[in-house]
Amino acid sequence: MNLGISATEYLSLVRNSQISVEEFIAKTIDRIKMVEEKVHAYITINDQDALNKAKLIDKKIRTKEKTGKLSGIPISVKDNICTAGLKTTCASKMLENFIAPYDATVVSRLKQEDAIIIGKVNLDEFAMGSTTEFSYFGPSKNPWNNECVPGGSSGGSGVSVSALECMMSLGSDTGGSVRSPASFCSVVGLKPTYGLVSRYGLISYANSIEQIGPVARKVEDIALIMNVISGHDQHDDTTVKKDAIDYVEGLDIGIKGKKIGLVQQMTGDGVDKEVLSATNKAISKLQDLGAECVPVSLDSLEHSVAAYYTIASAEASSNLSRYDNLRYGFDLGTGGYEFKAYVSKVRSNFGSEVTRRLLLGAFVLSAGYYGKYYLKAQKVRAMMKSQIDEAFKKVDFLIGPTMPILPFKLGEKIDDPLTLYKLDINTITANLTGIPAISVPFEISSSGLPIGIQIFANSFEEKNLLQAAYALQQSVHLREVPL
Amino acid sequence: MVDQKEIEHLGDLVKIDLQNPGKYIHQVDQILNYFEKLDKVEYESDKTLRKEILYDNLREDRHEPYLSDGKALVEYIKRDQNNFVRAPKMI
Amino acid sequence: MIKIGLEIHCQLTKLESKLFCSCKANYRNLETNSNICPVCVGLPGSLPLLNKKAVEKASMLSLALGCKIPEHISFFRKNYFYPDLPKNFQITQYNAYGPTSIGSDGAVPIEGKTIRIRRIQLEEDPGRLLYEGSSEKTQITLVDYNRAGTPLVEIVTEPDFENPRQVRIFLNVLADLVENLGVSDPYLEGAMRVDGNISVQNGNRVEIKNVGSFRDVEKALHFEMTRQQSLVDRNIQVIAETRHWDDARKITVSSRSKEEEQDYRYLPEADIPIILIKQDKIESLRKQMPESIVDKKERYIKKYGIPQQVADVLSSDKFYSDLFEKAHNESNAKEIANIITTDLMGFADTREKKMDLNLTDRNLSDLADAIIHNKITRNSGKIVLQEMLKTSKSFSEIVANLDLGSMSDTSSLEKIIDEVFKEEEKAVSEAKQNPDTVNYIVGKVMRKTKGKANPNTTLEIIRKKLSV
Repeated sequence: MNLGISATEYLSLVRNSQISVEEFIAKTIDRIKMVEEKVHAYITINDQDALNKAKLIDKKIRTKEKTGKLSGIPISVKDNICTAGLKTTCASKMLENFIAPYDATVVSRLKQEDAIIIGKVNLDEFAMGSTTEFSYFGPSKNPWNNECVPGGSSGGSGVSVSALECMMSLGSDTGGSVRSPASFCSVVGLKPTYGLVSRYGLISYANSIEQIGPVARKVEDIALIMNVISGHDQHDDTTVKKDAIDYVEGLDIGIKGKKIGLVQQMTGDGVDKEVLSATNKAISKLQDLGAECVPVSLDSLEHSVAAYYTIASAEASSNLSRYDNLRYGFDLGTGGYEFKAYVSKVRSNFGSEVTRRLLLGAFVLSAGYYGKYYLKAQKVRAMMKSQIDEAFKKVDFLIGPTMPILPFKLGEKIDDPLTLYKLDINTITANLTGIPAISVPFEISSSGLPIGIQIFANSFEEKNLLQAAYALQQSVHLREVPL
Repeated sequence: MVDQKEIEHLGDLVKIDLQNPGKYIHQVDQILNYFEKLDKVEYESDKTLRKEILYDNLREDRHEPYLSDGKALVEYIKRDQNNFVRAPKMI
Repeated sequence: MIKIGLEIHCQLTKLESKLFCSCKANYRNLETNSNICPVCVGLPGSLPLLNKKAVEKASMLSLALGCKIPEHISFFRKNYFYPDLPKNFQITQYNAYGPTSIGSDGAVPIEGKTIRIRRIQLEEDPGRLLYEGSSEKTQITLVDYNRAGTPLVEIVTEPDFENPRQVRIFLNVLADLVENLGVSDPYLEGAMRVDGNISVQNGNRVEIKNVGSFRDVEKALHFEMTRQQSLVDRNIQVIAETRHWDDARKITVSSRSKEEEQDYRYLPEADIPIILIKQDKIESLRKQMPESIVDKKERYIKKYGIPQQVADVLSSDKFYSDLFEKAHNESNAKEIANIITTDLMGFADTREKKMDLNLTDRNLSDLADAIIHNKITRNSGKIVLQEMLKTSKSFSEIVANLDLGSMSDTSSLEKIIDEVFKEEEKAVSEAKQNPDTVNYIVGKVMRKTKGKANPNTTLEIIRKKLSV
């Protein structure tokens, strides 16, 4: 049985009873048990429950009952997205044993369509990081080279999909957290338009910019899952009311006649040579398919990293205030402590990256500094948005490499936060302006490491974006993960 | 310039006992220096990209008790035998 | 020059649900932590959903206090750690970066003076803390989150008050106004909480918190004014600080823990979209607002000829003016206003007594009609009213039972007058000399008839008999 098939293929096999869901799930669990030691994608494996669900779906198929759009598809969920009855830890000591009484809206929508939640996957603590090294439960490792980081913060999502430990995954993308691991692990990752997918049940880090996004091995699978998770949610007032869109229909329409802008600031200094050449190759492939490519300059990107980390840290310092261990959290009695001393003691259990961002956030919001940092960061956002709007008057898509460099060694940059922050330069544009962006696997470097290409579209233009991504995907044939 | 006093003040604002404040002094200072470039940004609008919602589309004022799996929320949180959440003493 | 400004927290008690979730807005008398959900205890992953009616009520209050409502309103987070605050931030409104709170720049006239309203903001109430254990070592804080998320407006005035008396008058006007508007029940325990700040000439500003009932605010401010003045008189500096009102000792006390200048690190609340309130919406809200106390009073005076003072008292009391509106008709309005203000208001003057009041509008209307048509006297009317309140029997039943029908039947009245003449010979002869003293005899007759005699008829008969 090939665990690497696409969800679309799988669904037709399942519906025609050519394979049983139970068998596939059992094989997937075997695979997890086999490779976890090497890659550490999972925090919690939901094996028993997954097998039970699989049996139920098989029964539905046997008795010709109606089944959902994602029947029997094993999906892993980033461990900052709430799942009723299953731990949601945020890879933090602070939520080590936290079980939410509710499903995130995206999770309940998956369940309604008969998807199977196979487990909860690793991340940088509270999604702060871009390597998954800042997990309380230890780092995940790149399936393409176990000595390298898988990207992050949704490292577990990228790894579990790449290592065939599930068919798709839900991650969250605050500054590139879905696209970075997608690029480093050679899978597809989409950051949807802010407001397209409900954040209800996503544990907030930087709530004005983050979105839940899917990871899959194929663009068509991303389209399939977007049909289920997108759309207005009465539990999230920031979701937008719009007519439902079928992202699967017309996916292979091609990009003939489309105009694509290569963002100059994403191919300048500091970009790895192989990444640069892959980007240029992607451009010529798209031209071969009939698209027109032009250079586009977005000079506001010069300030985007500073603006992003100002806003994200500020929001983080507020969002993470609630973790005082009084209502939920690990065991530490309050007796004998004074309130401030108790709270400060329990909160010293945050890891170093979270602590750094909370300190930064407190600084940029404190009296007298708001105008200098936070307000200026908002101005950068407004400026970027206006430049993006201008750009989309001239082109249909923007393009650039997802990550400026190749996957690097674990531990290599762990004590150099600023260098790590600067690696987000290409991805944060989408978060600060709200637009959708997708990372598509495009090449494997001479050292055997994946390179992803990122395409951006204007807000709520996911359908066009997926068509372009599909065209790019179909233009290359990449080798399988060597695991 | 972030110094020992400043880092401890920030630690107090976010209520974290810093085990190793020295480590953070340098890193926070370095990052804040990088943020300095924001100060030079000149742009008239700081219009946020936040969504607007019409007054009419807000939640209707209706009471609905919260139950999950037939259980009240208090059963999901830390509490004493009288259902109070226990907090440390206040001075 | 004394300067006083106020911050008034007023719960929107007329709502069904909390400000950001569907738990009950009325948290009173519920079992501990039974009125909570993921949103109001800030569970990870939960998101606030703003209550439409809360915006509506706060808008109406803003209009009633003469405030401007901006086209876009938005929310901020005020960050500080406290065990009654489940998220360790409070969702509130903030105008430092432009007016986005529900109301600003209002004005309220009181006694020929205008108190300016700086802003009105919509925010959530925290939970409630209880303390267990006597010694400092064993003390534990117990938290009940039933109140957390209750909708609240904070009304901030400019420092326009010149003395504590003006504060009392203002607070009474405000309490009547919010009640009349149907946004709050200000007399409910904890529904209206007032903090004040006060400075005397050459002194610093002092904030007074923790005044239990808003009726004590005047006392607290008065104490503080005297304290500050005596310091200044002795050339001692008044320290800028926060003081708490000690209700038992009736003094203000410096807050023990010297609260350092709090840095709240305000931040826009991105989980709540910016709310667009169009001008036509504001106009339609304005139309839905109940008649103001001032307009009501004018109507009582003009339409029914109710005396100014009576109209004043009646219109500012929501409960009694509602009763009046239900009970009255064109002809008996004045009498009903009279009964309410002279008899009922003294009888049931607290919220609890009003709630227990056993009086139907029909009974009240019947009583007024009977008095107007001389079927019973005003005096008997008082007795009937007492009986109605006690038994809630109908008007006619009470009158029959107590034999209170007015004696306008002249022959039996004449008989009684003759008896009185016999008993009061001296008074009768005096009255013949000096007709002004005839009222003494009328009084005697009234007493003998237990107030049933119609005083006018009685006077007429006596005058005829005495030919005066």
